[in-house]
Amino acid sequence: MTTPVLEIRNLHARIEEREILKGVNLVIPQGEVHAIMGRNGSGKSTLSYVLAGKEDYEVTEGEILLNGENILEMEPDERAAAGLFLAFQYPIEIPGVATMTFLKAAINAQRKARGEGELSTPDFMRAVKEAGAQLNVDSAMLKRPLNVGFSGGEKKRAEIMQMALLKPSLAVLDETDSGLDIDALQVVSKGVNALRDGKRSMLVITHYQRLLNHIVPDVVHVFSDGRIVESGDKDLALKLEAEGYANYGGEAA
Amino acid sequence: MVRPNFPVRLGAAEEALIAQLKSAGADQAAERVTVAGLPTRRVESYHYTDLKTLLRAVPPMGQPANQVDVPALAIAGSYNLTLINGAVFQQGEAPAGLKVGTVTGGVLTTRDDILVHVNNGLAREALSLDVASGAEQIVQIARRIEGEAAHVADAVKIFVGDGAKATIVETFTGSKAAHVGNHATYLALGKDAVVTHVTIDLSGRETSHFATNEYHLADGAKLRTLIVHAGAGLSRTHLFPRLGGAGAHADVTGLNLVSDGQHSDITMETSHAVAHTSSQPLFKSITRGHSKAVVQGKLIVARDAQKTDAKFMHQGLMLSDEAEVLSKPELEIYADDVVCGHGSTCGKLDEDSLFYLLSRGIPKAEAETMLVRGFIAELIDPIEDDALNEALQGIVDGWLLTGQ
Repeated sequence: MTTPVLEIRNLHARIEEREILKGVNLVIPQGEVHAIMGRNGSGKSTLSYVLAGKEDYEVTEGEILLNGENILEMEPDERAAAGLFLAFQYPIEIPGVATMTFLKAAINAQRKARGEGELSTPDFMRAVKEAGAQLNVDSAMLKRPLNVGFSGGEKKRAEIMQMALLKPSLAVLDETDSGLDIDALQVVSKGVNALRDGKRSMLVITHYQRLLNHIVPDVVHVFSDGRIVESGDKDLALKLEAEGYANYGGEAA
Repeated sequence: MVRPNFPVRLGAAEEALIAQLKSAGADQAAERVTVAGLPTRRVESYHYTDLKTLLRAVPPMGQPANQVDVPALAIAGSYNLTLINGAVFQQGEAPAGLKVGTVTGGVLTTRDDILVHVNNGLAREALSLDVASGAEQIVQIARRIEGEAAHVADAVKIFVGDGAKATIVETFTGSKAAHVGNHATYLALGKDAVVTHVTIDLSGRETSHFATNEYHLADGAKLRTLIVHAGAGLSRTHLFPRLGGAGAHADVTGLNLVSDGQHSDITMETSHAVAHTSSQPLFKSITRGHSKAVVQGKLIVARDAQKTDAKFMHQGLMLSDEAEVLSKPELEIYADDVVCGHGSTCGKLDEDSLFYLLSRGIPKAEAETMLVRGFIAELIDPIEDDALNEALQGIVDGWLLTGQ
């Protein structure tokens, strides 16, 4: 049997004294797209941050295996080089850092960590141009400082473009639909779907079902009070949309 | 016996200064030091840089030295001049449109400031530069203190003619010794002149670096200054821009790069003397280890200087828990139809930004460097000359690389 791309075993995590993840179990086989749905405050975004290794969260129990390797002891940059990518719900604006400089640094840092040579400037430019074209990221956007002055849609498109360039084995999309109008949602979804190649796995975290019309998941999980409480196929998302999260207990957000 | 004429107790540094001033025949300046002593924190413009405490000794006056070599920065197309221990050395023929000479004595307007009195009293010859109207020039002035520990007062006087465009770079370097440098620059901009003035202190840790820069802007003149402190253990630059012509604009900027054990102060007093002038003072300080950065910015708007538009900003970035950033904005406004403001921020590297870069695979040290560079970009990006821009970036990178 092939090693799953992601395996989370009994994951507990807290921020300061408050436990937020209370025993998450999840397996994502290679090539599959899983969705996590849950009400606000259920711990969905915490899961994405814990996966990416944000310092504020303390893992108290459990394991996270990425391609069979425990990543809990790894720094965030090492996790990225190991194949994890987090598309942020709110991509950070960084004034003074040029988008192109950032992209080049990220690509080359990951290549270096994997023992690959640096990308030549022409190869880099070509890769950026290709990825940008698909996501309507034009050269004017690339000339601006990282995410600075980008609209909500531009930020999300830029995130997916980064994902296309960095070619992760697992992409975690945290509320990628938030702040997007229908047109932007379609562009972003198209970009995401283009990266579904039968090998790359994805974890799509969302509050609303509508994103899942565009990025159709293989499995849908319901997240409530820090753990997965039900799993099913894409129809589960429709059921949730119709009935809400009330049946899953936990505190209302 | 009571001596009421001597209200301050003089220390060794002051005694040395008084003796040096007297032997240079600068009796009035000697008298000023005798009466006032070195400024303490009770002198408002030295509030965070108490020279009585920080400057304990003044070495003997520097002797003329003759060791001209390559300039501190490689800037394509620049005409290079050197001042060593106060003496002017001209290398090669000045280009057309630039007149190089010397003038006797100090160049600064007398004002109630001990370092100004001392410079005017001790500077023997000043380098004088004239950029002809309409000319375009890049000039690099290397100001050096060489040999044993020395006290050096040197001066530069620059006139940039109407409509001329000039980039003037001054570097401060020298031998590694407990020098005291007291440097003066007087820079006058003619009508519609466009000037970039960059000064970079790269002197040794043992050195105390003092600079006073005076700027006079005529109608429509545009000035951009960038003061970089990246060397001396104790450094202080005092800026006096005066906007004296309608349409004049000054981007007065500065950068304190301060490491463990250093104290770095940039103090500005900008005068908006006539109507319709503007200034945008922007300063940044980065501190690490046990260090102190100071920025004081005062905007003075004269009664007739209506429609003045001026905004002072200082941003501090502290890379260690022991580092300090001190900020003091002041507004002194006598006109009633102006837009003036000030702001100040201070903090550590933004955790969210750092995490974002890490999450893309960029290792921590590199990510921090990117963020620090990003923090400074606002100061360096507007420097148009590519070679100068690159040299400045190199200085910042060098500072970052030396760690601590």
